[in-house]
Amino acid sequence: MKLKPDTKKWLVNPYHLVEYSPWPLTGSLGALMLTSGVAAWFHKFNMNLFYLGIMLIMITMMQWWRDVTRESTMMGFHTSKTAKGLRIGMILFIISEICFFFAFFWAFFHSSLAPTIELGSNWPPTGINPLSPWSVPLLNTVVLLASGITVTWSHHSLMTSNYKESAQSLMMTILLGLYFTYLQGCEYIETSFSLSDSIYGTTFFVATGFHGLHVIIGTIFLFTCCMRHLKFHFTKTHYLGFEAAGMQAAAWYWHFVDVVWLFLFISIYWWGS
Amino acid sequence: MSEQLTEENWKGTPPFDARFPNQNQTRNCYQNFVDYHRCHVKYGEDHAPCEYFKWAYKNLCPPQWYTKWDEQIEAGTFAGNLKG
Repeated sequence: MKLKPDTKKWLVNPYHLVEYSPWPLTGSLGALMLTSGVAAWFHKFNMNLFYLGIMLIMITMMQWWRDVTRESTMMGFHTSKTAKGLRIGMILFIISEICFFFAFFWAFFHSSLAPTIELGSNWPPTGINPLSPWSVPLLNTVVLLASGITVTWSHHSLMTSNYKESAQSLMMTILLGLYFTYLQGCEYIETSFSLSDSIYGTTFFVATGFHGLHVIIGTIFLFTCCMRHLKFHFTKTHYLGFEAAGMQAAAWYWHFVDVVWLFLFISIYWWGS
Repeated sequence: MSEQLTEENWKGTPPFDARFPNQNQTRNCYQNFVDYHRCHVKYGEDHAPCEYFKWAYKNLCPPQWYTKWDEQIEAGTFAGNLKG
């Protein structure tokens, strides 16, 4: 039996050369099924393909990220060079997300700065009763800003090897994220307008809805970090889960979601009402 | 404007309005329609100069537009602010 490690694959460079994996294939198939399934659903067919697609995507995500965790934490493939690549990847992803939300703000300002005559040249359009920004939206602003503080607290606790405080403040961040989602749910029930009530309802729900989706994704990301932290995956020097692909990435993502909310609050909730 | 606008010089097309410098004159048409009704609210139904706005919107708007808006005002569903 050969005990010597395969030096060709393992030792000659600092980069992570990945193994064959089924997840890119299952992920692509899931994405195709999800897109086709949503199109079929919108055309009033059944939702079978949609469910199949979303299940495939979920299974792929869980198993792919499980593999990444194994490769980084258990197998030591995430060298500092690899971690740097993951950080750059996360930064590029967040830039693409900024572009995504930029489009919705463009749509909002295009429609609201010079409202069409069909709206009575008014913003908010005649007959639309917007939500008051000084009620729940202001509370939501405070909740998200507070969660930005707790996530930084958690991050810094991790850097100074304060395991307990890191876990506690991370849990507080997750709870604040869940509270935000709950409050937004209550607000959505309260509104007197819907997605199809003029361009106001459309721009409002598309922008705030996608933001809400990102808060939910960010909460799941932080929750994953919390679970990994409780299993001692992160250390002072190797906190990729929080710092690059994990802890820091989750913190960056959370701050991004926070900043988007500030812009939503100022332009759509406040100026737009 | 030094020259008074009278029935006499309302001939031709409405003069250039610096608020609507673009080729698309939709908002010019609409603003004159709204201003006609606001003029009546402010100066009463018999105020003759208000007719200038009517002349302007009838020149600028496609007839089916102001026919529709008149129906909407009748039904109380017109979106614009006519109170000024």
